[in-house]
Amino acid sequence: MDYLSKKYLRPRKIPSTACSGCGLGMNHKAVVQAIYELGLEVEDIVWGTSIGCAGRQTFGTWKGDGFAGTHGRVYAIARGLRLTLPPEKKIILTVGDGDAFGIGLLHLIHSARSNADLTIIVNDNLGYMSTGGQYGWTTPHGSKTDSSPYGMYEHNLMSDGMDVLGVLKHAGATFLARHVAMDGQRAVESIKKGIRNRGLSLIHMVYPCPTNFGSRELGTRDTIKMYDYIKSQSAPMGEEKENTLWATGIYHDTSDSRPEFSENIHKNIEKIRRAAAV
Amino acid sequence: MKRYLETGNFAITEGAILAGCRFFAGYPITPATELAEAMSFRLPQVGGMYIQGEDECAALHLCIGGALGGYKAMTATSGPGFILYADPYGWAIGCEIPLVVLNSGRVGPVSGITGAPGQGEFYLTRYPTQGGNFETIVLAPNSAQEAMSVIVESFYLAERFRTPVTVLADQLITDGFEDISVPENEGEMKEMGFRTWPRKINKGPVFYPSTDEIDIPPVVLGHNTGALCSDWTPTEEGYDIEEVAAHHKHAYRLIYKVRNHKELFNNLYEKNFMDDDPELVVVSYGTPSRVVNTAVKKARQNGLKVGALRLINLWPFPDEHFKKKTKYLSVELNWDGQLVREVQRAAGKDSEVHFMGSCGDLPTVADLIETFEKILKGQPLKRRGWELEEW
Repeated sequence: MDYLSKKYLRPRKIPSTACSGCGLGMNHKAVVQAIYELGLEVEDIVWGTSIGCAGRQTFGTWKGDGFAGTHGRVYAIARGLRLTLPPEKKIILTVGDGDAFGIGLLHLIHSARSNADLTIIVNDNLGYMSTGGQYGWTTPHGSKTDSSPYGMYEHNLMSDGMDVLGVLKHAGATFLARHVAMDGQRAVESIKKGIRNRGLSLIHMVYPCPTNFGSRELGTRDTIKMYDYIKSQSAPMGEEKENTLWATGIYHDTSDSRPEFSENIHKNIEKIRRAAAV
Repeated sequence: MKRYLETGNFAITEGAILAGCRFFAGYPITPATELAEAMSFRLPQVGGMYIQGEDECAALHLCIGGALGGYKAMTATSGPGFILYADPYGWAIGCEIPLVVLNSGRVGPVSGITGAPGQGEFYLTRYPTQGGNFETIVLAPNSAQEAMSVIVESFYLAERFRTPVTVLADQLITDGFEDISVPENEGEMKEMGFRTWPRKINKGPVFYPSTDEIDIPPVVLGHNTGALCSDWTPTEEGYDIEEVAAHHKHAYRLIYKVRNHKELFNNLYEKNFMDDDPELVVVSYGTPSRVVNTAVKKARQNGLKVGALRLINLWPFPDEHFKKKTKYLSVELNWDGQLVREVQRAAGKDSEVHFMGSCGDLPTVADLIETFEKILKGQPLKRRGWELEEW
């Protein structure tokens, strides 16, 4: 990550304080790589984060301006910011699965509804891992976590044929993709499309947590075993196998198909202001 | 100067616009709904934005986003919505974001009666979020006209102190129709004592030094200053840190930037018949103070040596008004007694402190005068409609 790091990230925060074997850095790198390949500079982006592993480990890493919201609220802060920042400034949010699909889901749905120009990377470590490892809303059924010692049996947003991306699609998101941390350039290409879309883009990226998820569900903190667990259960869309939990690729793409949130509001305000001035 | 027969909500809207507010995010709730409606009508006319949040929590977070983008932002609600502000309040206090929050109190707890005034959030406005280690500024107007000047002053203080300022009104102030004068230019604003402070942008990289200094511009994003702000304990550069020493510096700043500059708002009070050391000082804020003022005036005509102290600056609590050893009566729109506890604390053991509460309705002048007489004669007090312990 050296050349990307030097160009875009703060030496004080890289390497992060993530656990050894954590896969978050792979997701983080894919985002920075996508920014680089799009030719964007530090000043082009304001970076927001949430709490939890994904939020805290990426907060303050971006050389430019950054902020971190409390649990689940960064989508509402980002929408307010979207309205008051120039449209050419991109807002990228790196958040976790609990933040986006649990406590922040209402705000996320309304961000999709309003089609706010935000690129949201949901880094999914399959539950609440920074609090020690409790099940979340994407935890595979049957998984053992600290709060599901008998195996997770509650319905969630990725069980019984449900897909959280379906919820967001019908809420109005204009770009949705899913990847796993090992997808490399395929993930980078999706993130690039997400950043380019003038509207709500969300990329769901599953990544390995050997420390808490692996140790409970797999009985080991062996990094390779945790990586294999995710890799073997993911496949590109159209190539799914019986055990595929995460079909990767672009789930929904109607980029630039409907007016963006702030653009729409500013256009209407301008109309009203002119009429009032007459 | 233009005169209107209009509501407090109208006065607040015009005051906010005069103060430079161009961002309002709200959520419909009685009795603050008309303020959101007025903002949705007026703000776009002056190039400002009205946004409706999916709930109150989102509304105040949207305001935070607007303020982070460099706008002067405001929201308004009533008790059931105010409680949902707890989360963004903490963020705004901790990140030192200038905002104005109006709470139009109604009788509670929870939804209570939508159309009855209440003063149940006296302490909640002091502690609008968890965690402690911060000081807040709370102002309470008692008329539509004063609501306008208090809103203007709140935007001024919010910028200088880089913190949310809370305006504690009630249903009668926001919904009631009154004679309102709106200044039409800067000269008229000055004449009315309105002062404003422009939004400035923190240049970084050290945003908030570990001092009690005010007038340091707040963090604004999008100017590539390398600005950082988060919900965690910050270093002076805004990085998150798990270190008690850093937290001490943070807490010191949050508390003492307000406590050490009280002179900027502690002149906000009203005293009537207080020059001759009255035997009984009637303490109140907001709508009940108007009944109190009338009752005290009448009581004086009846020969009772009573004075009225009306607080506008509620928090930090102005202890300095309670140094004199005398009798105090706190008149509030609640039955549990909130303001009275602070009066007891500030007045100390040597003074006698009484309480008269209403629950959903207002005290009457006759009730008040009867209470004054009883206190002055040393007779026991009963609360109206409910017999409870004496204060």
